[in-house]
Amino acid sequence: MSTDTSRTDRTDRLADIDGYRVGLYVAIGLLVAFFLTPIESGFVTSLKTDAAVGNTAPYLPPLFGGFSIANYVTAVEVLARGMGNSLLFAVPATLLSALLGSFAAYGLTLVDWKYQVPILVLFVAGVFIPYQAVLVPLSRLYSIVNVADLLWFVWAYTPVSVQYADLVELTVTHIAYGIPICTVLFRSYYTSMSTEMMEAARLDGASIRRVYRRIVFPLSTPMFAVVLIYQFTQIWNDLLFALVIVSTGSSPAAPVTLKLAGLGASLEGLDFGLRMAGAFVAALPTLLVYIAFGDEFAEGVAS
Amino acid sequence: MAQLSLDHLTKVFTDDDGSDIVAVDDVTVNIEDGEFLVLVGPSGCGKSTTLRMVAGLETVTSGDIRLGEESIADQKPQDRDIAMVFQSYALYPHMTVRENMSFGLEESTDMSDDEIHERVEDAADLLGIPELLGRKPGELSGGQRQRVALGRAIVRDPEVFLMDEPLSNLDAKLRSQMRTELQRLQEDLDTTTMYVTHDQTEAMTMGDRIAVLDAGELQQAGTPLECYHRPANRFVAGFIGEPSMNFFDATVEGDRLITDAFDYPLTEEMREAVDGANGVTLGIRPEDIEVAADDSPTGGDEFGTTVDVVEPMGNENAVYLGFDEDPTDTFVATVGGMRRIDAGERVVACFPSDAIHLFDDASGDALHNRSLADAEDAGAEPRV
Amino acid sequence: MRRFFDRLTQARSGRSSHRSSEDDADARDAMADGQRPATDGGVPTGAGTGDGTGSDATPTDEAGALGRGLARLDDRFGEDFVESSPFWLPPFLLMGFFVYGAIAWNVLISLTDYEGFGNADYSQLDFEMYARAFGDPTVVQAAINTFVLLIAFTGICLVLGMLIAILVDRNVRFDNTLRTIYLLPMSLSFVVTAQFWLWMYDYNNGIVNQLLGVVNLGPYNFIGNPRLVLGAVVFALVWQFSGYAMVVYLAALRAIPSEHFEAAKVDGASIPRMYWRVIVPQLKGATISAAVVLMVFALKAFDFLYSLVGGYRPPNGADILATKMVREAYQNTNWAYGSAIAVLLFLMALGVIGPYLAHQYRNDNL
Repeated sequence: MSTDTSRTDRTDRLADIDGYRVGLYVAIGLLVAFFLTPIESGFVTSLKTDAAVGNTAPYLPPLFGGFSIANYVTAVEVLARGMGNSLLFAVPATLLSALLGSFAAYGLTLVDWKYQVPILVLFVAGVFIPYQAVLVPLSRLYSIVNVADLLWFVWAYTPVSVQYADLVELTVTHIAYGIPICTVLFRSYYTSMSTEMMEAARLDGASIRRVYRRIVFPLSTPMFAVVLIYQFTQIWNDLLFALVIVSTGSSPAAPVTLKLAGLGASLEGLDFGLRMAGAFVAALPTLLVYIAFGDEFAEGVAS
Repeated sequence: MAQLSLDHLTKVFTDDDGSDIVAVDDVTVNIEDGEFLVLVGPSGCGKSTTLRMVAGLETVTSGDIRLGEESIADQKPQDRDIAMVFQSYALYPHMTVRENMSFGLEESTDMSDDEIHERVEDAADLLGIPELLGRKPGELSGGQRQRVALGRAIVRDPEVFLMDEPLSNLDAKLRSQMRTELQRLQEDLDTTTMYVTHDQTEAMTMGDRIAVLDAGELQQAGTPLECYHRPANRFVAGFIGEPSMNFFDATVEGDRLITDAFDYPLTEEMREAVDGANGVTLGIRPEDIEVAADDSPTGGDEFGTTVDVVEPMGNENAVYLGFDEDPTDTFVATVGGMRRIDAGERVVACFPSDAIHLFDDASGDALHNRSLADAEDAGAEPRV
Repeated sequence: MRRFFDRLTQARSGRSSHRSSEDDADARDAMADGQRPATDGGVPTGAGTGDGTGSDATPTDEAGALGRGLARLDDRFGEDFVESSPFWLPPFLLMGFFVYGAIAWNVLISLTDYEGFGNADYSQLDFEMYARAFGDPTVVQAAINTFVLLIAFTGICLVLGMLIAILVDRNVRFDNTLRTIYLLPMSLSFVVTAQFWLWMYDYNNGIVNQLLGVVNLGPYNFIGNPRLVLGAVVFALVWQFSGYAMVVYLAALRAIPSEHFEAAKVDGASIPRMYWRVIVPQLKGATISAAVVLMVFALKAFDFLYSLVGGYRPPNGADILATKMVREAYQNTNWAYGSAIAVLLFLMALGVIGPYLAHQYRNDNL
């Protein structure tokens, strides 16, 4: 190839690159629109009066007096209790499943003994189980081991209503089914930890328990952030277990997802303004967590 | 006291498919109290596994490890009264230097906080790092981390130091500086030390004695000069020394050695040594080959050669020489750095008979080692 | 043991006043205390070697039978088995009971005729429920729908995710912000996204129909039309999860050394060619792991379908095994039948997960 052609080549390519950059950003812009449109449309709709929902374009903000926060007032009224209930089991279940996952990953990754791998396989496979395969036994279990009877003194001596026994069951359920994914997340982090450091700590005379307490746990902080955020989102968003264990949105202990799923159906027609407002109210905690810790969430998802 | 003895130490790993891999094979070596023993060998020779067995990080398949009179082979690592310096330093990244150094004392002793504080300060003074005590490992340079790792071992005042290639993560200049410093420190503390390295310069300069390992087997244990001048076998001869010893395959015919390229006359002493051996290997170190710049070999131990490549090192030149029979199959000689010598030049190479090593082809064992008469004459008596 | 301190004292005495000998003695006593081998309560030391050289070591008397038993466990399973068990055993038992215990129990229930209220009768076990499931056209249809959903959803997510990842990897600005936007739907509950898409697909006012109206198509009743609903659901799920595939691919792309891109450029390959020939083949690992996780998401699409209608009966034409199973068990109280469908779903998942785990296990990648 002579120098001449290579020069024209380069200028051609430069022109290409300019056109190519423009195309690139247009494509990315369209994708952003694709990913945000349903959310944007939902948001503007949630702020409209019933009439405005019907007669303005679904993607335009409310105009000419079509603005109303009445939907949010109703949504909060209906969902507030459910959100409280959700927090009540999501927070302890998140903390405990993360802690147990960290324990298990430590015992299976940074300590060395035979036959670890088969046990590990069981943990990993647990991540992929379709929950339908355990639902009926779960219902049977909770009808045999009756938490409401076991904790009778709570309902007897405190103002907490007996339906809240369901939330205890939900907590235990979410811990148990959260352990596999938490273990896998922590394990991927622990395998990158220096084995020489673990050996140094053992030679320094620290027991396995002390090594966890003084070395591994403090160094796990970044991973705890990832796991806690991921787990909280998963548990808060769950509908299936709530449906099976609490069963009805009319229960005083119903979590927010159960309430929301029933929100549209319980009303005459499809009140989209209210539905959208309800969706945003129910999603608020996860949205806040996501906006504040998006990077940690992405990391949890990617591993 | 703290004499460390490895007694027929063997480690067998079982592979996933059930086959056994012998990593350390029947190694027996004694390390005297206060002695600095360097375990050296190519990668995969079992030297690190040996060290890790002494530390208690690997179980012992058979054989014994004794510290003083007591067998420690079955003790937990933390009960063995040893401290180890790791290749990666293995500092705790979330702790300050002070906390790193205190950790072992807090976990393995019931010393009071004041005593721990004092010992850490003392060790930091000794290493010249008192100003680093408040910093975290992430804020330290490689050399400083190295010192902290040493400090962490020193504060525990163990019977034995174990060091696993502690200098290999440092750049060349810092490495030679730390080499001397480590030696000085070991002499000061007078603690029995077992040091693993693949770097033969470290082995030669640091060790009171070195133990050369290959394929899990101990090849030779002796002072550095012993291993250099009186190698027990061909492996040690080739491993120790840079550039490596030249080897020529030969057969014995009467009082001559016949190689592909040349015949070499045997002295009476050598002939007795090779008696009964069929194939032998002739070995000679590059610095023992005399190179003369004319083209008239007198026969006997002088040979006409052609210079193939010259590698100038400054203080000396490594000259690659080829015999006329096969000019591509070169051997190396070193000559003074000021001497001018060019590729293509015809030179005479002389293999003085007192510098010749002979090895048995079948076993690799040394049959005859060089004479040390010259060195003694020069007054620099090698410690052999 | 004293060497160190003696030496330090010597070194120090040169610099400052003498240290009192009393101090020295104290320090030594403390050290002697500290250097006592720290035997921990129950577990005797000496359980290290597996071949028997260590088994001669008799456990200390006070350790007793329990200690000896534990030591034997250590002999068998490796040194730290007993000491580390408090960490992994409780989570393992809890998880094992709820996951594997429950699956076994579920299989057992599926072999009974358990239905209605009351307790299951385990005395008569047969495969009647499975026969019933295979003969039930709605189950067969649900299985087909599940399969279509699985394949279409996973495939589209992978392709779209890879394209977006390649775009974002082309040195685009604000790439972290973009990642946040693309992943945003995934942080939302199925219950929430179902509401959004119900509105998107609305016959009169939905954006999808309005957009189609621009090119003179529609309007379509996406949710109500049995022939369109599955595609509409797949589209909504792709919206929610293609960001996941994109994140996985982006991480994989960033792990490819930039020399590969440069080498291809030097070789004169055009950009699309370079990706097709050099880069995409290196994304095989990412594709496999993303595909497996996406299929698992697809199997959990129950929440989305339930929320679309706010009840057990999903829109006509969108019934999948997951919804069918829950409906049979919790609406019709056909527990055994529901369990049998759940087993079929589980086997379907196993068909995807099993080879994946085996592959990871072989590559030491667990």
